Amino acid sequence: MAARQFRRYQLLAFFLIVSSHFAGCSSSASSRYFGKTVAPKDNVLRYVSGSEPETLDPQLPDGQPEARIFMALYDGLVEYGPKDQQPIPAIAKSWEINPNLDEFIFHLRDNAKWSDGKPITANDFVYSMRRGFAPETISRTAVSLGGVIKYAEAFNAEKVFVKKGDKFLLESNLGEGGDSKTAPPFGPETEFHKSINSNRVTLDGDEKKRAKQLEADPKLKAAVGEAEFVPVKAEDIGVEAIDDYTLRIILRQSTPYFIGMLAHQYFRFVPRQAIEKYGKEWSRPEHIVTCGAFRLKEHRPYDRLVVEKDPNYWDAANVHLDHIEFYPLEENATIMNLYKAGSIDAFLNHTVLTSWIENVRAYKDEYMNFPEAATAYYSMNITKPPFDNPKVRRAFLLGLDREALSNFRKVTQPLYGKVPTGIFPAYDKAAAKVSEEMRGEKGIAPEAWSNRYKFNAEEGRKQLGEAGFSVQKNGDTFSCPGFPTDRASITYNTNENNKAIAEFVQAQWKQNLGVTVPLKTMEFKTYLPYFKSLQYEGFAQFLWSGDYMDPYTFLGLQYGEENEGGSGFHEPKYDKMLDDANRELDPEKRLEIMARAEEYLMEQLPMIPLTVNATNWMKKPYVKGMYPNPGTLIPWKFVYIERDPTKWDKDVANIMTTADPQFEKQLADLTITQKTAAK
Amino acid sequence: MLSFIIRRLLIIIPMALLVVTLTWGLIRIAPGNFYSGEKKLPAAVEANIRKKYGLDLPWWQQYGMMMSNIVRGDFGDSVKYQGQSVNEIIKRHLPYSATIGLLGYLLALAIGLTAGTIAALKQNSAFDYGSMSLAMLGLSVPNFVLGPILVLIFGFWLYWFPPARWGGIESLVLPVCTLAAIYAAYIARLTRAGMLEVMRSDFIRTARAKGLSEKTVLFRHAIRGGLIPVISFTGPALAALLAGTVVVEKVFAIPGLGNIFIQSVLNRDEPLTLGIVAFLSILIMVFNLIVDISYGFLDPRIRYE
Repeated sequence: MAARQFRRYQLLAFFLIVSSHFAGCSSSASSRYFGKTVAPKDNVLRYVSGSEPETLDPQLPDGQPEARIFMALYDGLVEYGPKDQQPIPAIAKSWEINPNLDEFIFHLRDNAKWSDGKPITANDFVYSMRRGFAPETISRTAVSLGGVIKYAEAFNAEKVFVKKGDKFLLESNLGEGGDSKTAPPFGPETEFHKSINSNRVTLDGDEKKRAKQLEADPKLKAAVGEAEFVPVKAEDIGVEAIDDYTLRIILRQSTPYFIGMLAHQYFRFVPRQAIEKYGKEWSRPEHIVTCGAFRLKEHRPYDRLVVEKDPNYWDAANVHLDHIEFYPLEENATIMNLYKAGSIDAFLNHTVLTSWIENVRAYKDEYMNFPEAATAYYSMNITKPPFDNPKVRRAFLLGLDREALSNFRKVTQPLYGKVPTGIFPAYDKAAAKVSEEMRGEKGIAPEAWSNRYKFNAEEGRKQLGEAGFSVQKNGDTFSCPGFPTDRASITYNTNENNKAIAEFVQAQWKQNLGVTVPLKTMEFKTYLPYFKSLQYEGFAQFLWSGDYMDPYTFLGLQYGEENEGGSGFHEPKYDKMLDDANRELDPEKRLEIMARAEEYLMEQLPMIPLTVNATNWMKKPYVKGMYPNPGTLIPWKFVYIERDPTKWDKDVANIMTTADPQFEKQLADLTITQKTAAK
Repeated sequence: MLSFIIRRLLIIIPMALLVVTLTWGLIRIAPGNFYSGEKKLPAAVEANIRKKYGLDLPWWQQYGMMMSNIVRGDFGDSVKYQGQSVNEIIKRHLPYSATIGLLGYLLALAIGLTAGTIAALKQNSAFDYGSMSLAMLGLSVPNFVLGPILVLIFGFWLYWFPPARWGGIESLVLPVCTLAAIYAAYIARLTRAGMLEVMRSDFIRTARAKGLSEKTVLFRHAIRGGLIPVISFTGPALAALLAGTVVVEKVFAIPGLGNIFIQSVLNRDEPLTLGIVAFLSILIMVFNLIVDISYGFLDPRIRYE
């Protein structure tokens, strides 16, 4: 018996030694790469795309997990550029913009086809937009992205035109500017174009609300008089097929970044033939019709979504992958495990666990650490004391060492303004120029000026004292007994990273200002209304990813009375600055006006900027043509599998500047149509 | 007996409706809604959504509509996954959970019954102490710890099994083992305790006095009585296992019902949550009924009025 037991222990010991030996071997044998790294035999990419897509109808959801799948299944007029997310030609081979930046003409390719073989024409885009804005479609993205298209918002909100006799009441009739344009004609003149060129007055469709609206504005009421109200129809919105392959979009105001927005999933083509036949079930696998480089092969929800190369695609010759398998996973540890085991080839952004980062960073051929068009802030509720006092807000800004926070978070850069730095080079330049001008105007020393929003605990304590909450020094520590900590908290939605940030910030403020702000956490869907309706006191975490590649996607957060910023901040002066910027036709001047607006916002300080996020994802070195762009939105037709290890990606910190001849040629061939048309 | 079963079956229906009502109330109390996201919705869009899903009606009317649909067995469409009905979602994801659940259950039974019986028969032996310590360990190590440990050993050191995802028999091994561990431990301890008690009872002494062989005593008389505590535990446990276990499904990325259930709550997907709750409550009540019926077969002293 004893001998048998001994043998058993020997076996266990042997097992342990063998297993640890294997572990050692496996890490040393392929130490250059993280885990198993073998290029697949087939042209297949296995990619973790994030949470399970809500639906495969691109006009409905607003999430990035869906966006990544839609980029395979649907084409738009334009596509996100692989490296910088600037628009590149897709179904539109070229486009023209009028000098006012409010009319766009697109020349569509004549060889684009749906996955069922039907040709794609300008009428398909007109249909897509009319369907997207229709109130019964209930698109959550339609108005926030496309509301700038003329009458789109009015149609979506079921508003009415005012008709007197056979004429519509125009804004010019009210004498409020906005009169009919006298700009030179742009493109062929059509009946539709003539009729849309005037700015019609739109009123609420609901009779009671309309009565209220008229009651509040006597001038408007007088102008309306005894008129007939005509509902705004789908046919009224500013999208027009001039012919089968020429499309015109008319906006209600100049929008310099409009082309960039068009790559968004909302603006991708949806198939009239399938939608009219199957209704809301059109996007089910058995009915779906797509227009992207890939078509749907298999969808097993929560498990996999497989797409295959579509031979009908207009650019099929330049699609390198035969299949993409999208895995809808959200558990970061599980995703990393799959990557290490070689079961996936790449995964979405923000996925490497903080505890793994030090280890994973060493894999220089795989780890993608690039700035992202995404920022983290603490919004402050400026409607409730003591945070209605700018000095208090400033004190908490200065009392937080954001450089230390970034180092602690490992994958972020400190953020000192509203717009993330390093994402919009032209804007960064304009902002530096404006900043220098303002410094001159105010006559402040360069160093003091450049440090004005940076960590300065002493100044922070001083500001807090001036606000009436004097900070006392007790040996090495500070205390601020007068500060009402029951009127403040750091509120965030439950998440390990958010908690780590909150605890770090709490410790900083305790150390630097002597104020211990309590932490408060809640589940995401509970947090959203709590944050948006300003129920919180003090600070609430706010993360924002840019929707398009223009600083306005960040600055616009505080625009208008009902803005997204969640601070209770609304300044007509700020709104006007942004309006002025978007009316400015000179791009450089426009950015400068925006930079001034940002300066103004920072003076008002409705939020404490924390960090600019990093992309923080990985790909196997044999996956090529895949770049860490600011939104991790990958145009899949550029991606290919390289089986020759000598050509694998090396040192991906330089991936944006390292030339890949195959990729460069494909991009150049694709963009040539627009280059020749534009200039 | 028959009237007992009919009576119990009839109770299941109002009980399930009560559970659904309570769940509905809880969902309505919870802040947030399925359509809210990081972006603010324009008022017109929000109004359209509320109109489409009947959220603009008074609560009693909404409750009535929900109930009348459920009584007809129609849970409606998911509000998150548009165009998919709750019934099809449950039907689609149940097999994943049921597969690993059933396999885990059988594995747990095999290990637990064997170990528990041997431990009881050889009370205070090395095997008894060894297996019961192991069972204690199995009970104390939560499956979110055990799962990753198994992944580390068998996924990365030995490369025997994939670390996650559904696909092929080899992908089932780790989740099934993780799932089985805690149940095997429970069953082993319950079996041991039950068997110890039975082995000391009068009817076993009588059986032995009759001159029956030890094997007959054990398999014909002891085991039936000894298993009663095990049965009352494993009946509802089987229901819970079949319907999905959230942690194991998360760790191993299995598209099972447990995973879907949690997501539906987080998404405030009311029809889906209600559908799964109703399904689960009926499942558990049916299994409890089966357990109650089986008592009568196992222990002749139990009679149904």
